[in-house]
This record gives sequence, C-alpha cells and structure tokens, in this order.
Amino acid sequence: MLARRRPAGPGPTALLLVALLAAEARASWLIRRPLSPSGPELRQAARAALHFFNYRAASPSTVRVLKEVLNGTALIREEGENIKVAFSIESYRTENSQLGTCSALVGFKDHKSRPTVNISCTPLLDQKERKKEDYKLYKQIKQLETPPFETTIPGKLGDMDPSLQPLWELAMIGNSFLMWEKTTSTSSYYYVQQITNIKKWIRPDDFIILHYRLLLHEFRTQEIISCHLHLVWHPEKPSKTQYHCQDSGTQENGSGNSEGSGFL
Amino acid sequence: MKGLLILSAVLLAVFAKEDFSGHQVLRISAADKAQVEEVKKLEDLDHLQLDFWQGPASPSNPIDVRVPFHSVQSVKSFLEFNKINYKIMIDDVQLLLNNEQQQMLADQSKVRSTDIFRYDTYHTLTEIYDFMDLLVAENPNLVSKIQIGKSFEGRPLNVLKFSTGGNNRPAIWIDTGIHSREWVTQASGVWFAKKITEDYGHDETLTAILNSMDIFLEIVTNPDGFAYTHSTNRLWRKTRSIIPGSTCVGVDPNRNWDAAFGAAGASSNPCSETYHGKFPNSEVEVKSIVDFVKSHGNIKAFISIHSYSQLLLYPYGYTTTRAANQQELDELAKAAVTNLASLYGTKYKYGSIITTIYQASGSTIDWTYDSGIRYSYTFELRDTGRYGFLLPAKEIIPTAQETWLALMTIMDYALKHPY
Repeated sequence: MLARRRPAGPGPTALLLVALLAAEARASWLIRRPLSPSGPELRQAARAALHFFNYRAASPSTVRVLKEVLNGTALIREEGENIKVAFSIESYRTENSQLGTCSALVGFKDHKSRPTVNISCTPLLDQKERKKEDYKLYKQIKQLETPPFETTIPGKLGDMDPSLQPLWELAMIGNSFLMWEKTTSTSSYYYVQQITNIKKWIRPDDFIILHYRLLLHEFRTQEIISCHLHLVWHPEKPSKTQYHCQDSGTQENGSGNSEGSGFL
Repeated sequence: MKGLLILSAVLLAVFAKEDFSGHQVLRISAADKAQVEEVKKLEDLDHLQLDFWQGPASPSNPIDVRVPFHSVQSVKSFLEFNKINYKIMIDDVQLLLNNEQQQMLADQSKVRSTDIFRYDTYHTLTEIYDFMDLLVAENPNLVSKIQIGKSFEGRPLNVLKFSTGGNNRPAIWIDTGIHSREWVTQASGVWFAKKITEDYGHDETLTAILNSMDIFLEIVTNPDGFAYTHSTNRLWRKTRSIIPGSTCVGVDPNRNWDAAFGAAGASSNPCSETYHGKFPNSEVEVKSIVDFVKSHGNIKAFISIHSYSQLLLYPYGYTTTRAANQQELDELAKAAVTNLASLYGTKYKYGSIITTIYQASGSTIDWTYDSGIRYSYTFELRDTGRYGFLLPAKEIIPTAQETWLALMTIMDYALKHPY
C-alpha cells in the first residue's frame, strides 16, 4: 500500500532515514479511526447516505428509514474525512415492515458542501414488484384532485388521509435531496414535519410536477425551516428537484438542483 | 296603508314563545325604494315580534327576518299583497337548533365522565382543563387541583395533586407539554392522570407509592403555547411572552432555568427557538414551578416530558462533568427503558443530556438536580423522526402505556431509596 521509492545517492543510513521520513509522511495522509456505532459521526454519515439513496433511487414506494447504525470507521485524508458506515434500514411504509442493510462511503469535505456518497443497499422489493408499486402510486397521483392550498399533510392532529399518502411519499424524493445537501459532518440533522400549498401538474410527456412548501425540523437548533420545492418525477426516469429555503433565524437562502436516476 | 289594515285584520293573538318551533327565516327582496319602505313599516309593528337579521336598507340588499310562528301567516300575506318577493331560508328554526346542538355534543366531547373521555385523540386546552375538573370531581379522596400561577396571557397553570393524605409527604413531580408542539406529551399526561386513579388500590406498586408519597402532575405546562398550536401555528415551541425590543415572541422554557443560564447551549436571539430569555425564570411558566418546588421542599423525583427522539436523559446538559450519582442515574435509566421496551419493543437510548442529545444550558432538570432533587430525568417520547411532532393520534395510547412503565420504575425506585 505504501509505495517506497528508493532514492539514489547517499549511504545506507541516509537511505534508511529518508525511507523512514517518507513512510511517516505517507502515514499522516491516511489515518483509520474506528468510530462508535452509537456515536454522532457515524449516525450523521448514515443519515447523509440514506437521504442520498432515497433521492437517487427516486422510488416513492420504497423510501427507507434509518434503523440502527451497525459499525464504521473514519478515514481521514488531507481533503477531509471519509466515513465508511454500515447500517440497517426499514421501509417507510410500516405496513410492509421490510428490513434491509446498507453500506456506504460518505465524503465530508467541509461544512458548506454536500457530502459525496457511494452507497449500496439490499433491495426491499424485487425489481418487478417495486416497478409495479411505483406505477400504482404514479396512477394514484395522476388521478388525484389537487388538495386545497391550505391542506397540510399530515393534518395538525397527525392525521393523514389515505388518499393523500401518495403525495406525501412522492414528496419524500424531493425532501431527501434537500436533506442530503444540508447534512454535513458538522451540521444539524433534519426531519420532515409537514408539507402544504401543494400544486400538481402532469406535463405533456407524462412527468408529474409537484410543487409544495415543506416545514423541516432542524434538530440541533430546534428551528423550523420553511422551503419551497419543485419536483419533476416519472417512475423509472430521471427525476429533478429544485428547492428554495428560508432559514428562519439566519435569513439565508439555499437552493439546489438535482438529477435523480430512478435506476438504483 | 290598505296592506296594513289587512295585516291588522289577520292578527293572531300574541303570546310569549319559549322556543323557536315553527319560526321561519324569510329572505325578502325589495324591488325598489317603495317596497323597502313597506317592509320598514313591518319593523314598527311590535306585536309581530319580528327579528331582523339584516334590516331593510336599500333595494339591492336582501332583507333577512326571523318571523315567530304566530306572525308567519300575517307577514306572508302582507308581502304577497304588496307583491314583494321573498323566499323561505329556514323552515323551522328550532329544528335547526336541535340538529346543531346534537352535532356539537357529538363532536365536541363535552364529556360528563372521564370513563368516556377519548384518550386516543388530541384535545384542546379547554377539553383538557375540563377533564381535570371531572377527574377531581370523580376522585375527591385522591385527586385535587392546585393553581400554581397564571401564564403570560393569563391562563391558569394547573397541577393535579394525587395524595392519600399525610402532611407534605415526599413527592414526585411530572410535567408534560412544556414545549407546546410536543402534543403526544400533553395527551400522555391526560392518560397518566386517569391511569393513577384506576390503579390506586388495584396495582400493588402504585398503591405502595401513593401510600407514602404524593404525585404532582402538570399536564399543560405551557398553556399559551398550546393554545397557539391549536389556533395558529402547530409547530410553536416556546412561551408566548412579548419580548421588549423585539418583534419576535416567546422564550424557550427549557433554557430559562437558573442552571448555567445563558451559557453555550441556548440562544440570546429572541427570534430563536432556543432563546433563553432576558434572565433566569423570566417566564412565569417556569417561575411558578420553581416557586412551587422551593416552597414544597420535599420533592424527591422530578420528571419533565418532551418529544420526540425516544430518549431518557439525566443531567447535565450544560457541562460534560458527570453528575455526582451518575452511575445510579444511568442504571436506573437502563432499568426504566428496559421496562418501557417490554411492552411494544420501542427502543430508547439513555444517557446524560449533553452526551446523548446536545449541549443545552438553563434546562429544567439541570436546575432541579442542582437544587437537590436526586432523581431528575427528561424523557423524549415517540417517535424518532418518521412523524416527529405530528405523531398520529393512534400512537398516543401505546406511547403513554409504555412510558408509564418507565415512570413507574423511577417512582418505585424513589420510594425505595429515600434520602
């Protein structure tokens, strides 16, 4: 792993010294640091990884929720920290209560940039089943009448009309993109509370366009962040998300663009 | 003039009506000023006992009038004679009122017994306060209500006292709803209150506890915030106190206690959700509890309940220094969450606030602990983020049931470890 170049020239001692120094220098580039599964770093990496997965998979019927962090290590490089993490997940749809595992390599660069993620997860449903479920949801949304502007999902009593559930699940794709971008190694972590002001269109090419307002709970500061999202989706075709957030305390605006693959 | 004569001719005997049976509401459309004037003449006839909901004004505005049963024929004849258009808006006012009344009774659970109170739904402040009064009325030998103060907006701060006698017995304090948006906590508090009355005399452990100790339960610790979550903003967390010099409202009641007040772990920005306030106990909701605890002087366990995250936490939040009896607190927490999980498998993590959730200064149980209450705990109830604050109502009872097992573990321990 550590390549050793043999410098030409001076005697054996000098050679040894230089070799030792070179080895020392290489070692400081890459330090492995085991991390506690119950600790915050692994948990944060798992969250970032799962948000990324959910957005890229763009499959509303198989959105996954973090269950337990299993193990992981930090690989400290010059450019930042890479975290290798394995975690268990369960399906968002509780009726199915399927379980799975994921393993990911998450690259945190600095507190501003979104983390890079390489992830693979066990499938929740087989390909055919998942396609069927996503198309079912797609049809439901196409046929659904857009709810009134003031409708919130869930309602203030935590109630969710079963007919509105597909909208909630589809919004998870856009929400995941936003949360992935915001979850850095030093940042807070986020949970979706409510969506409202929903507008829905069908494009001529049969893509669904969902435009809505999201109330996001930022856990460390306990703030509620209001964002507007614009999601363009079709089962098994690349999806696209745009968002614009008003951070309540800081008055900061954030926005992002994505290309989801739908092919995970 | 002729019309009026006809009207007088068909006058029925006037008698006082107790209800509105047979009363009709007519909507009159006067075509021109002359017709408006005719209708005005009706207004002057007291014996008709007409009740104008929208009085005669101009031809473009409809005239709505409630007509008692005894005047219906007369009025209609008058209108028809004068070729004034009208239609019947309400056929029978009493019938309408009866229907409305029935609906209200059905919807608004103005219950008459805590046995038919709905524990599986979320309630308004009024409903919870009514529930408290009912519970006291049904269990006068066990439950009483104490008002420990008034909120910023003047609402009573009510605490239920569960006691089987004695004089200033060692006590356990439980509060829910200090952060108003954490609705599963107030709902659980209601369930705990009922549970105590059901189990005293039947459950060995609880009976032993209440035979030696008192339990104080403040269900709606932040009533102004709670009312605001119902009326305006479901995700409101803080109190609703006006902050001089700021357009933002409210202080985080869990950063306002006198324990490392203002240190890292709270915000000095009034617009922030973790704003600590101008000085410790600036919030009357907090001060009332502080005053109560100090004057009682014999509280042995203090449990403050929040949501969400599924955690059981002990001091400290403001420092990483371990609490003096950290090991004991840790072992008790472990036992409590084990019992909690035994019911539905719900997993809780436990530890000190700062190591388990985040740094927080001026928090409740740091103050209660530093004031000498050895067993000070904070719960974060269901869930872990799937629904967060907007937990579906169907999870209220399971949450309350499992949490109760943890509370019983702590209370039983406090009973068996007097100090």
